[in-house]
Amino acid sequence: MNYTVINRHLHVGDIRLVAVASASLFLIGDADEIHLSSAFDTPPESLIIGPFVPLVPARGEAP
Amino acid sequence: MKRTSVVQALHAETLIISSVLQIGDSERISARTRALAVQRQYELFFGPEGEQIFPIFTKPIPRWTSPPPVAARQTLHESPVISVQSVRVLAISSSAIVHIGSTSTAEAEARIKHIRQLAGPAPSAPTRGRDS
Repeated sequence: MNYTVINRHLHVGDIRLVAVASASLFLIGDADEIHLSSAFDTPPESLIIGPFVPLVPARGEAP
Repeated sequence: MKRTSVVQALHAETLIISSVLQIGDSERISARTRALAVQRQYELFFGPEGEQIFPIFTKPIPRWTSPPPVAARQTLHESPVISVQSVRVLAISSSAIVHIGSTSTAEAEARIKHIRQLAGPAPSAPTRGRDS
């Protein structure tokens, strides 16, 4: 396979970002490899109503 | 060959929790975050708790293996510059990377678990059954 990339003129004005968060990447430049992963866990069991006790994993969540 | 990045003005307000603000080229950037965010109705601390017991912090995340590079690949930089007038970032958080310049490998991983703990009904209050 013949594969040609031509990078022509690239000029950007003003960039305004509120937030870059949780394994995100804002890149002005070139890169060979990018690996980003983010796991966010808020299952129903994460809302605990009841006595205040130290945290233990929910049933079925044992490591 | 990688291009040169030119940024006239950069303004970043807050950079927290294993984040990276890189100005200039880099070879490899690696950022990791594990966050257990517990919100309790009252200020109660039981010391260290739950740091290693939740699978979200230990479960392996499958990693994508990059395919072999294309043999007949040609990259022509007609312009060797990427230019940006200005960048404004309010917040960079939890293994986020803001990078001005080129890199070889950028990797980031964030594992976040949120838990909310609220007080139950007062023990003296009568509990009503669903049918009554």
